Amino acid sequence: MAVEGKITVSILSSNRLLRESIARILHKKKDIEVIGAECADFSSANKISLSLPAIWVSDSLDSFINQIRPLFGRKNEAGGKCVLMAMADDAKQFLKAVSHGVLGYVLEEGSADDVVSAVRGVALGQAVCPAHLTRVLFDYVSSQMNNPYSSRARKQFKLTRREQQLIPLVSRGLTNKEIAAELNLSEQTVKSHIHRMICKIGVENRFGIGAACEISQLDA
Amino acid sequence: MMGAIRVLVANRPRLMRELVMAAISDQPDIEIVGEVEEESAIVAAIEKSHPDFVIIALDRSRGLPAFYEPILQNHPQMKALAFALDRTYFTYYWASLRIQSKRMEASEAGILDALRGRAEPTERLQ
Repeated sequence: MAVEGKITVSILSSNRLLRESIARILHKKKDIEVIGAECADFSSANKISLSLPAIWVSDSLDSFINQIRPLFGRKNEAGGKCVLMAMADDAKQFLKAVSHGVLGYVLEEGSADDVVSAVRGVALGQAVCPAHLTRVLFDYVSSQMNNPYSSRARKQFKLTRREQQLIPLVSRGLTNKEIAAELNLSEQTVKSHIHRMICKIGVENRFGIGAACEISQLDA
Repeated sequence: MMGAIRVLVANRPRLMRELVMAAISDQPDIEIVGEVEEESAIVAAIEKSHPDFVIIALDRSRGLPAFYEPILQNHPQMKALAFALDRTYFTYYWASLRIQSKRMEASEAGILDALRGRAEPTERLQ
């Protein structure tokens, strides 16, 4: 439902007090129109999605993943933008939310004004989260960029996390014994991992692993 | 405010506290006599403001935090409503020889009914 000049919002939460109160707070803002506030289940989400809210506000990542996200594409199409509120201060949970396309993230120790600001920011095309979680994002991106094998290797060769960890070590020419010591594994375990990696990547021996992953990265 | 129901809001986390205040702040018969952010300041705030109700957070096991029991025993005229973000109910606590409790749906109507005494504390949970 397009309300001229206003940000349309739907609220999905199992906690009735939470959805009623946040609706009351948002409703008082002249630039925001609450067009739905329902219990977090798929049929409610489906019902209020018909009103085409610009922003969804929810207190549950699971609700977003299972009830809101399936109604929209992966790319935050119109109506699929979500602000999560009342979230625990947990970096893993935050990164998981970001990976699923959440654009606003307000902590349980945040304020009601933070929820309002997040709704406005996301409506303007921004992503909004507390400053210390921005640092978590920077650190995560940095770690991913500095491990060029990681995502590409995972996708193309279906390497496990442990196998991805082994790529730079094998590339550096470390022996099984040295890798075992570095990762606190047994030598036999390292040997098994490398054998499986050779099979998955389709190279003749361990010396081909690094090169194959590097080429794969350059092709990305 | 003469005759108003006096409420001290002392629950955590902050967002839940603000949402509870949003639910009750516009009511002409309810007066928020204080907001407490830290548990350590609650006793002093109760002694100072003499609330009819104190709004608190449920503890990790979703029960009454242990330190409230003597507070309620010492202030039998005061009742407590305890909330948790991840619970769809709140718990109404009062002292009558021992601590009694009753669960109610966490909603604006539920809080207002509890504060206005429409939800008679009759059911004992613990």
